[in-house]
Amino acid sequence: MGFDLSILAKHVPFLLEGLWLTTVVCLGALAGSIVLGIVVAACRTAASPLARRLSAIYVDVFRNIPFIVQLFFFYFGLPEVGIYIEAAPTGIIALSIAGGAYTSDVIRAGILAIEPGILEAAEVSGLTRRKIFTKVILPIALRTSIRPLGAVCVNLVLTSSVLSTITLNELTGSAKIVAAETFRPFEVYAALLVAYACLTYAVSGLFGAVHRHVNRHTAGEVA
Amino acid sequence: MLSVNGLCKSFGTHKVLDGVNLTLNPGEVVSVLGASGSGKSTLIRCINGLEKFEAGAITVDGFDVAKPKELAEARRRSATVFQQFNLYPHMTAVENIALAPVEVLKRPKAEVIAEARALLDRVGLAHRADAYPAQLSGGQRQRVGICRALAMQPRYLLLDEVTSALDPEMTAEVLDILKVLATTGTTMLFVTHEIAFARSISHRIVFLEKGELIADMPTADFFSERGRSLPRVAQFLSKLQGEAL
Ligand SMILES: Nc1ncnc2c1ncn2[C@@H]1O[C@H](COP(=O)(O)OP(=O)(O)O)[C@@H](O)[C@H]1O
Ligand SMILES: [Mg+2]
Repeated sequence: MGFDLSILAKHVPFLLEGLWLTTVVCLGALAGSIVLGIVVAACRTAASPLARRLSAIYVDVFRNIPFIVQLFFFYFGLPEVGIYIEAAPTGIIALSIAGGAYTSDVIRAGILAIEPGILEAAEVSGLTRRKIFTKVILPIALRTSIRPLGAVCVNLVLTSSVLSTITLNELTGSAKIVAAETFRPFEVYAALLVAYACLTYAVSGLFGAVHRHVNRHTAGEVA
Repeated sequence: MLSVNGLCKSFGTHKVLDGVNLTLNPGEVVSVLGASGSGKSTLIRCINGLEKFEAGAITVDGFDVAKPKELAEARRRSATVFQQFNLYPHMTAVENIALAPVEVLKRPKAEVIAEARALLDRVGLAHRADAYPAQLSGGQRQRVGICRALAMQPRYLLLDEVTSALDPEMTAEVLDILKVLATTGTTMLFVTHEIAFARSISHRIVFLEKGELIADMPTADFFSERGRSLPRVAQFLSKLQGEAL
C-alpha cells in the first residue's frame, strides 16, 4: 500500500466544503475579533480606570485559558443553563472572543505608537474625544496594525481546526471523516498539512499586500 | 483679548513658569524670545489647554482655559502651529486642513475643501493638495500646518518654533508666509529663535528667563538701550551678534 493521492480524488468536493466552512468561520471570527479588539483597545487606552481595568482582565483571562476549554464551555457548558447555540456560530463567537484578546493588544500597540504631538494637534483643534478616536487614532492605529493582524489571522486559521471537536466539519473535521472512510490517514493528513500551509501562506501574503496598499502614501510615517 | 495673569506652572518641584503676565490684543504680533528651557513652549501649551497650571488665569476673549466648560470656546478662538508639524499622516494636505472645520465648526464639507485648496494656493502648495505628509518636504509640511491652523479662522495664532525643525531654505519659505500673515492683521503669539525675523514683524517682544517674563516692550525699545539695560537681554542679544539684526 504505497503513497497514493489519487484515492482522495472523489473526496475532493467534500474536503472543499470543509475548506469553505473554515474560510467562512475564519472570516467571521476575523471580523468579530477586530470589532471586539477595537472596543477593548479603546477601553484599555481610555481615561476611565474602570474601563482600563475590566478590559485588561478580559485580555488576561482569555489569553490564559486553552482555547479548547473555552470552546467546550460555550458548546457543552452553556446548554446546561439553557443557552443553545449551533456549532458554527459557537465556533465564530469563541474564536472572536479568543482572537479579540490578541487583536486588542495589536491595536492598543498601534494606538500607543502614535506620536503624541499628532493627538495634541487634534485636541487643540477642538475635536471631541470621540472624534479624535474615530478620525485620527483608529485610522492610524489600524494602518500600523495590518501586519500583526495578519499574524493573528493565521492563528485563527490554525486554531479553527479545534472546532472539529464540536462536530463542526470544517477542513480538519472533513479530513477526519475522509480518513475514517478511506482508511488512508497518511494521504489524507499529508494533504491536510499542505492545505493548511498554503492557506496560512495565502493569508500572510494577503495581509502583506493590504499593508503595502493601505500604507503606500505614508511609508516612513506609518511603518 | 488673550490674557495671561500670574501664570505659575511646575513640573514636580521644578518651577517652569513663575508669575507670567501677558496680553495679546487683536491685530498684534508678539514674539516670545528666551533661551532654550526658559518655558516658552510651556507657556503656549498652557494657553491652548495642553498643560494644567497651579496658579494664575488664562482667558481667551474672556473664556477661562482652566474651566473645562469654557476650554472648548477658548480653543475655538486660537489655533496652534507646532514645531514638529504634527500633521495627520493618514490624510492628504487638504484633508488635514478640512478635518477640524468640518467636524468642529460643522461647516459644509464642499465649502471647507474649496477653502482649504484656496489656502494651499496662497502658500504655494496648490499642486500638493492631494499629497500625504510623508510625500512632502519639511517646509511644505509646515506650510500645510499653517493652513490647517488658519482654516479654523482663529482670532489668535499660536506658533511654537515653527521653523526650528527646518533647514535654512525651508525656513525662508515658511517665514515668507508668516510675514504676509503678520502684515495682513493676523494676531500672533510667535515663539521663535529667528531674532532678526521677530524684529521685522513684531509689534512687541516679550522675553522669558527661567520662567519669568522679564521684558515686555515695543520691538524698537527691546532692541535699543531700554532692552539692553536688562543684563539678561543684553547677554542674550550679544550671543546673537553674528546674526544680522
Ligand atoms: N512634560 C514635562 N515634564 C517635565 N519637565 C518638563 C516638561 N516639559 C518641559 N519641561 C521642562 O520645563 C522647562 C521649560 O521647557 P519648555 O517650555 O519646553 O522650554 P522652551 O520651549 O523655552 O525651550 C525645561 O526645563 C523643561 O525641561
Ligand atoms: Mg520649546
